[in-house]
Amino acid sequence: MTGMGNPTRRQFLKTSAAGLALGASGWGCTRESIVHVGDPFERELALLALDEATKAGATYADVRVSRHWFEAVRTREQQITGASFTESYGIGVRTLVGGSWGFSGTREVTNEAVIRAAREATTIAAANDRISPQETELAPVDSYPNAEWTTPHEIDPFDVPLEEKADLLFAASAEAMTVNGVQFVTGGIMAVKERRLVATTEGSVIQQTFLRINPSLRLTAVSADRSDFQTRELDVAPAGRGWEYVTGLNLRGLAGPLGEEAAMKLSATPVEPGTWDLVLHPSNLWLTIHESIAHPTELDRALGYEANYAGTSFLAPPADVLNKTRLGPDFMTFMGNRTEEGGCATCGWDDEGVPAFEWPIIDKGQFVNYQTTREQASWISDATGMTRSQGCAYGQNWASIPFQRMPNVSLMPGEEDLDEEAVIAQTDRGILIQGDGSYSIDQQRYNAQFGGQAFWEIKDGKRHRMLRDVAYVMRTPEFWRSLAVLGGPQTYWLGATFGDAKGQPGQANAVSHGCPMALFRDATIINTA
Amino acid sequence: MQDQSDSNRPGLSRDDARALADQILDMSGADSARVNIQSGRRRFIRSADNRITTAGGSADVSVTIRSVFGKRVASVTTNLLAEADLRAAVARSESLARLAPEDPEYLNELPGQSYADVGGYYETTGNVTPDSMADAAAQGIRAARESGNVASGYIDVRAGGSAVANSNGLFAHHAATGVASTLTVRAPDGSTSGWAGDEAADWNRIETERIASTADRKCQEWRGRTALDPGPYDVVMEPTAVGMLMLRMRGAFDARSADEGRSFFSRQGDGNRLGEKLFDSRVTLSSAPEAPDAETSPFAGDGVARSPETWVERGVLRSLSYSRFWADQKETAPRPSPANLLMSGGNDSVDDMIAATTRGVLITRFWYIRGLDPRRIAYTGLTRDGTFLIEDGKVSRPVNNFRFNQSLVDLLNGIDMMGEPVRVAAGENSSVGTPIVVPALKVRGFNLASVSDAI
Repeated sequence: MTGMGNPTRRQFLKTSAAGLALGASGWGCTRESIVHVGDPFERELALLALDEATKAGATYADVRVSRHWFEAVRTREQQITGASFTESYGIGVRTLVGGSWGFSGTREVTNEAVIRAAREATTIAAANDRISPQETELAPVDSYPNAEWTTPHEIDPFDVPLEEKADLLFAASAEAMTVNGVQFVTGGIMAVKERRLVATTEGSVIQQTFLRINPSLRLTAVSADRSDFQTRELDVAPAGRGWEYVTGLNLRGLAGPLGEEAAMKLSATPVEPGTWDLVLHPSNLWLTIHESIAHPTELDRALGYEANYAGTSFLAPPADVLNKTRLGPDFMTFMGNRTEEGGCATCGWDDEGVPAFEWPIIDKGQFVNYQTTREQASWISDATGMTRSQGCAYGQNWASIPFQRMPNVSLMPGEEDLDEEAVIAQTDRGILIQGDGSYSIDQQRYNAQFGGQAFWEIKDGKRHRMLRDVAYVMRTPEFWRSLAVLGGPQTYWLGATFGDAKGQPGQANAVSHGCPMALFRDATIINTA
Repeated sequence: MQDQSDSNRPGLSRDDARALADQILDMSGADSARVNIQSGRRRFIRSADNRITTAGGSADVSVTIRSVFGKRVASVTTNLLAEADLRAAVARSESLARLAPEDPEYLNELPGQSYADVGGYYETTGNVTPDSMADAAAQGIRAARESGNVASGYIDVRAGGSAVANSNGLFAHHAATGVASTLTVRAPDGSTSGWAGDEAADWNRIETERIASTADRKCQEWRGRTALDPGPYDVVMEPTAVGMLMLRMRGAFDARSADEGRSFFSRQGDGNRLGEKLFDSRVTLSSAPEAPDAETSPFAGDGVARSPETWVERGVLRSLSYSRFWADQKETAPRPSPANLLMSGGNDSVDDMIAATTRGVLITRFWYIRGLDPRRIAYTGLTRDGTFLIEDGKVSRPVNNFRFNQSLVDLLNGIDMMGEPVRVAAGENSSVGTPIVVPALKVRGFNLASVSDAI
C-alpha cells in the first residue's frame, strides 16, 4: 500500500542531512544562504526536488510543498448538517526543459517520492519539447532565499471551537425564522488555512501561510399555498482574514432584515422588462467585474491558451488593443493587485517567487495592461513597458500545476465621496440590485446576464418598492461605457469568491474584487420568470 | 465483477482498501465510525496554439473518517496515512464530534449491504501511457495545422477506486476509470471555432481521429458567421448540447425539496408530483450503475446501494431521490441521487432532423449554463463552437451565438424528434464527469434570448 511505509521525520532528517550535505547545488544557490524559513524537513525536500530536476536536465524548476486545511460547518435551521475537516499534504514539481513544461505531484512526502516526481516532471517536459519545441523566456525575478508571509489576522479560525461557529449560525437562523413566511435557513462557515513552501531554482525559498474564511446564510420563504418560493442570500463575502471578520459581521443582526426581504420577494412586483437605469450595489457589481473585466484581461486567455475551456477574450490580440481601447469613462480605473487587505488573492509572493504589488489594468477608462506570469511578461512588454511578471502564477494545491490566475482586480471609488443615497438620487427611473444571483457570460466575455438577491425600483431618485425576477443583460464594452456615477470610498466593498474556475484540469482560485456603488445608464432588463 | 486485486492498478486494491479501513476502524473509540477512501491517479495533457502547453499527473489517497457519539457527528479527511497521522485524524474527528451539536437527523450506520456486480475499471484506460496521450493530442494538432487552423485540446485520464466501510460491518469497494478528450479548433484570426469531444470509461472508445476531423470541420463550416435575430426557434441540438442541459435535471429529482415546497416537483398545497405526467411521452430518464461504458459505483458515500432507477417514465414522474433520513420520514426506501443519467431516444439522425426543419437553428454545444428559476427548472447559458441557421431542410448559413433562457420542463414538452442515445462529454471544463447518455433532439420554441458576439 502506498505511503504506509514513510520514514519518520527524524529518520528523514538524518538521512537527508547525510545525502544532501553537498554544499552548492547545481542551480546556482548555496544551501548555506537558505537557513531560516520553513520547516527544515520540507525545505530539504524542496531543495532535493530542485537538485533532481536540474540533474535530469531541467533549465528551471519550482516546487511547492503544501499542507492545506479546510473546515466546513454547515447548518440547517437549528440543526447541524455537516462538520468536517480536511487535510491534504503533498509536493508538486514543475520543470522547464527546452521551452516546455512538465509537472508531477505526489502525496508521498518522502525523499524517494520527491526524486521520482522531479524526474517524472522533467521527463514529461522533455517529451513535450520533442513533440513541439518551444522557446520560453522567463522574466527576471529577484531571489528571496528566506522569505515569509502570513495573512494578517487576529484569530486563527482553526483555533475557534466548532460549537462556537455552529452557535453563531443557529442564532442567525433563529432570528431569520421569526419572520412570517421564512421556512428554511441554511448556513455555513468555511475556513481555509494553507502552509505553502515555494522553492525555485532562481534561489528563492518562500514560506507563506494563507487564511481565508467564508460565512454564508441562505433563507427560503414559501408562500402559504406553496405556489411560490423565493430565496435571499446574505450579502457577505469570503475574505482573506481571521475569525474576527466573522464575529464583526453581526450575522444575527443581519438575519432579521434579510428574512423580511425574503418574505417580501414573494409579493414583490414583477419587473417590467425594458430599458432602465441600473444602480449596482458592490455586493452585485463585484461579480460583474470578475466576469467582464478580470477574466478578459488574463493574458493566457487573450492568446488562446484557454480556448478549449474558459475561452478567449474580446480584448485581443494584445498589440491591437493595449493602450488603444477605451472601455469606460475617465473616472473608471481598475487596479490589479495581490496586496489589498482582506483580499482572497492577497499574498507576499506568487508561486514563481514574484513579490506582490499593484498595477493599473484599466487606467482612466483606457485598457493598459493584462495579468501576467514570468513566462508571459515578455509577450507584451513592448506595449506595456513592463519586463517583470505581475506575480499572477498560482496552483490551487500541491497536485496542481501553477499557471496564470487572476489577482484581486478592483474598481477604484469616485473622487467625490457620494454615499449610497446620493448615487440613487442621480436617476429618476432605475433599479437598484443588491447581492449576486444567477450569472453567466460568453467565452469571449461579451454577452453577460446577471441576476441578484434583492431588487428595488428607484423613482425620482428614491428607493420606491421591491421588484422581483430581475436580470440585466449586457454587452461588456457598451455596459462599462454607460457607467455614469461612482460612489465614494465610503461605499467601497470587497466582494470575493472561493471558486474562480479555470484550467484543465480545472483549478479553483480564491479572489476578491473591490468596488463602490455605481450607476449605469439605459441598461437592458429582462424578467426571468 | 472484474478482478480488483491487481496491485498494479492506480489506487488501492480492494484488499488494501479493506486493510486500511480496518486499521482505522480499529483505532476508533467512537460509538460508531465510517471510513470513506478515494484513491487513484490522474494524468493529463493539454494543448493550445498547436503545441502541448502542459502535461503531468498526480496520485493521491484520501481517507475520510466520520466519528459518531450518540447523534453528534463530525468527519475528518486526510491524505496522511502513516499510523501516527491516522491516529491523529481519528482523534480529531472524535474531538470534533464531541463538540458538534446533535444532528437530529442522524441514523445509525448501515449494516453490511449487498451490491450489484458493476465493472467500470478498464485496463485500457488504467494502462494508458503519457506517450499514447501525447500521440492523441498530436493528432488534433496535426489536423488543425494541416488546414491552417489552431488546436487547443485536453485529455483527462483517471483510474482509481472508492471504498466505504463502517463499524457496523459494512464494506464496499469499486474501481473505475474515465477518460475525457476534447478539442477546440479555431482560425488563427479568431474568426471561427469548432469543437468535438468524447467521454468514456474505456480509452478504446475515444475516437481521436473523429474528434480531430469533426472539430476541424466545424471550424471550417462556421467560418463567416452571419447575423440572426434572437427569438424562439425550433432547434436541432447535437447530443453534447442535450447532455449539457440534461445534466441539470439530476439536481431536480430531490424528494425533500419537492416535499418542502421548493421545487418544480412540489405539488401545490402538499406533497410532491410523483405519478403525474409532466413531460412528453417519449421522455424516459433513468440511472443504472451497470450502464455499459457509463458505469458508476454501485453504492453511495453512506453505503446505500445504488439500484437501477427510473426517474421519469414516458413523461411521468416515477421516482425521486431520498436521503436515508427523508426516506425514513416518508416510509420509503432510500434512493441516492442520480450518479449517471440515461435518456430515452429514437431513430432519427441529426441529418433527418435538419431535413425536417423548415426554419431553425443547429446547436453544437453550450457554455456557462447557470440556474435562472428553479420553479420552472429554467437555465441560462450560451451556444458555442458551431451555430447554424437551418432553412427548408438544409443548413443554410453559419450564424452568431446566442444566450438562451430556457425552462427544461418546456424543453422536455417540446420534443419533435429524437436520435440514438450516446455518451457525451458534457462537462464545461472537459474533465471526466458524471456519465450522461443522451440523444440528439429536435425541439420546438427554444428561447434564444439575446445575441452573443463571442466566437
